[in-house]
Amino acid sequence: MKLLDMTRKYGNATYEYPFAPYDVADGFRGKPEYDYDKCIGCTACGVACPSNAINVELNEAKDKLVWKFDCGRCIYCGRCDEVCPTNAVMLGSNFETAVRFNKEDLTESAELELECCQNCGKKFTTKRLIAYCIENFKKVGWSESVIQEKTKYIKTCPVCKKADSVELVSKHFSKGVKK
Amino acid sequence: MKGDIFINKLKEKITIKDIYRMPEEQITITVDRSDLPETVRMLYYDMGGWLVTMIPNDERPLNGNFVLYYTLSMEGGKMSPDDELPAEDKCWMTVKVYIPANDPTYPSVTRLVPAAVWYEREAYDMLGVVAEGLPDPRRLVVSDDWPDGLYPMRKDSMEYNFRPDPYAHEDEPDYKFNHPEGGGLVDVPLGPLHITSDEPGHFRLYCEGDQIIDADYRLFYQHRGMEKLAENRMNYDQMGYLAERVCGICGYAHATACIEAAERAVDMEVPRRAQALRIINQEIERLHSHMLNIGLACEVTGNINAFMHIFRIREFSMELAQLISGGRKTYGNVVVGGMRRDINGKGIKRGLELLETMETQLREVWDAVMDDESQVDRWKGVGILDKQVARDFSAVGPNVRGSGIKRDTRYDHPYDFHDEIDFEVCYEEGGDVFARETVRYRELLQSISIIRQCFELMPTGDIVAPQNKIIVPQAYALANNEAPRGENIHWIMHGGAQKVYRWRCRAATYNNWPSLRFQFRNNTIADAALIVCSMDPCYSCTDRVTVVDVKSKKSKILTHSDLKRYSQTLKNSPLRGM
Ligand code: SF4
Ligand code: SF4
Repeated sequence: MKLLDMTRKYGNATYEYPFAPYDVADGFRGKPEYDYDKCIGCTACGVACPSNAINVELNEAKDKLVWKFDCGRCIYCGRCDEVCPTNAVMLGSNFETAVRFNKEDLTESAELELECCQNCGKKFTTKRLIAYCIENFKKVGWSESVIQEKTKYIKTCPVCKKADSVELVSKHFSKGVKK
Repeated sequence: MKGDIFINKLKEKITIKDIYRMPEEQITITVDRSDLPETVRMLYYDMGGWLVTMIPNDERPLNGNFVLYYTLSMEGGKMSPDDELPAEDKCWMTVKVYIPANDPTYPSVTRLVPAAVWYEREAYDMLGVVAEGLPDPRRLVVSDDWPDGLYPMRKDSMEYNFRPDPYAHEDEPDYKFNHPEGGGLVDVPLGPLHITSDEPGHFRLYCEGDQIIDADYRLFYQHRGMEKLAENRMNYDQMGYLAERVCGICGYAHATACIEAAERAVDMEVPRRAQALRIINQEIERLHSHMLNIGLACEVTGNINAFMHIFRIREFSMELAQLISGGRKTYGNVVVGGMRRDINGKGIKRGLELLETMETQLREVWDAVMDDESQVDRWKGVGILDKQVARDFSAVGPNVRGSGIKRDTRYDHPYDFHDEIDFEVCYEEGGDVFARETVRYRELLQSISIIRQCFELMPTGDIVAPQNKIIVPQAYALANNEAPRGENIHWIMHGGAQKVYRWRCRAATYNNWPSLRFQFRNNTIADAALIVCSMDPCYSCTDRVTVVDVKSKKSKILTHSDLKRYSQTLKNSPLRGM
């Protein structure tokens, strides 16, 4: 009997959802929302994601960088949000992540243009990442010549960088030997 | 120093080869393998130890041996109120034995300390070390068709080239259930999948008429190899998230235990504020888990009304979780060195309101349930866990506290912020479902008070420790915490490259399963679901049950609704006429 009295006292406890929207608390960790325009393809999110929900990889032809997200793997931890330098990926408040029948619907992907290395001409990183770096160089307040030098440096692919520095070092080294 | 009294007593009979302390209250003693059973027995029965975990570790790459670590929590036998150690003597004693790789055997501890049975069965499955004289050497963890000679936790075992072929489907061996002696018993299989919790487990109830004479069960259908996964490819940033996935209800407790084990092994201090937040999250988990369990205990006995009310109140705890952690579950918050999410004044205020509501309404609902005689009757005297059985098998959580044993790891080995918090260890005599549910109800009120105290005493400062500790390879430690179902123990040995060498996770229910069999005995089939439910392994009733009478070879399929109707009315047994 007491239980029935309680039922009367507290009335209807059911939410209207799904017929009315359900409000989540402030700071709720929902599905990561991706903003393509902000993403610079730095791959930080892909490295940080503990469950491999985000993968940032070259496509098969190796001419585009592909940002891929699989909601089925996401654990809503928010690591991607934490590490993204441009806030291109941020946890939203969407919790309605189910899809019907097709698992592919759980995934999202985006392609980013690649820049070629100024030495060897091979594609190695995204255009946006380089633009982002250059923009930030300007903010530091370096002189034009320093910026130019740094720009040259970041426009070189890691392989060429390695070759360059080996050359540089061996030059110094051989000098040392001669004397 | 801590633990010296035990060491001195042991030395009278046993040669201790080495003593290692790290952290101070975790003492590892190395003994010869022939002395192992006696050492563990002395610590367990003579000095008031409880077996909390056993870690089989493949240390061949380090020292050419397999190593077993039997860890006991020294807290007193607790069979009577004064049978308890003073707080300053409580500590962890670990008995370490080396087992040479060319002769991987050791004398079984189970003959002297029954609590070791599952651990020793698992050690064989995972590492291939044989406990000689183990009364029940069946497989425990790996599947029945697992190839012989492949032991997953050996560091070199999972190389693809060496993997033996699995059995062909039609040759799959059957699991041998322990059938009790005597004829005329009806063999009732329950399983393989329990519907509401998606948890697979297979039970065999041996019944005479309605009465359960004995039971046996096969679990681990969903062994996920998490320990191996963590060893192979995880770093500490990721491990917390994996540890969380051990359980769908008390995941937070696992994450904290895992991370704290890593922290303790290198003696890392966590800021007080983060400690308080960890406690809050843990108690929130207890709130929603205990409400779930009390609700289900009403539901399996047909009291849907009470179940609904309790779940209505549970919703407030989920809201509290959202407030603190950003999700309805308290996941994704612990990192090595602290926490990732702080709480502000506004959150605390709302939190306190929610606690207030929960407290009043819980009292109301419990009052109403206690008023309901038929409900209380269904709980009383059912599924009794005898005090001695609980002691022998090192049961944990509300299960052991319902048998009148004052055992709570928050009280025995306080961790984090617990040194500043007042709380009462709730325990009840009786050992039946009623006692366990009462313990849970009282703990709910305690949890509310603990969260309140944390909110009020909330220290200021950072929530993450400065990153100045280096992981030391081969440093190890265990971490404990009281999850809703009892104490969780995680043990971590660090490896090189900021990774883990061995992670051993022991969930609370692991220590409760072996004694379940005794809880089943002399109850009716109708109560089987309730008994398992009151132990709280996230169990639900089974979809359907085939009843086979071994003698007459008659069989009959009972549907879920048959079983449920019968468990609610106790009339017209579906087994009549068999
Ligand atoms: S929320 Fe966590 S799991 Fe999900 S994509 Fe981001 S990092 Fe990966
Ligand atoms: S971290 Fe941000 S900017 Fe970098 S790849 Fe991910 S989404 Fe793009």
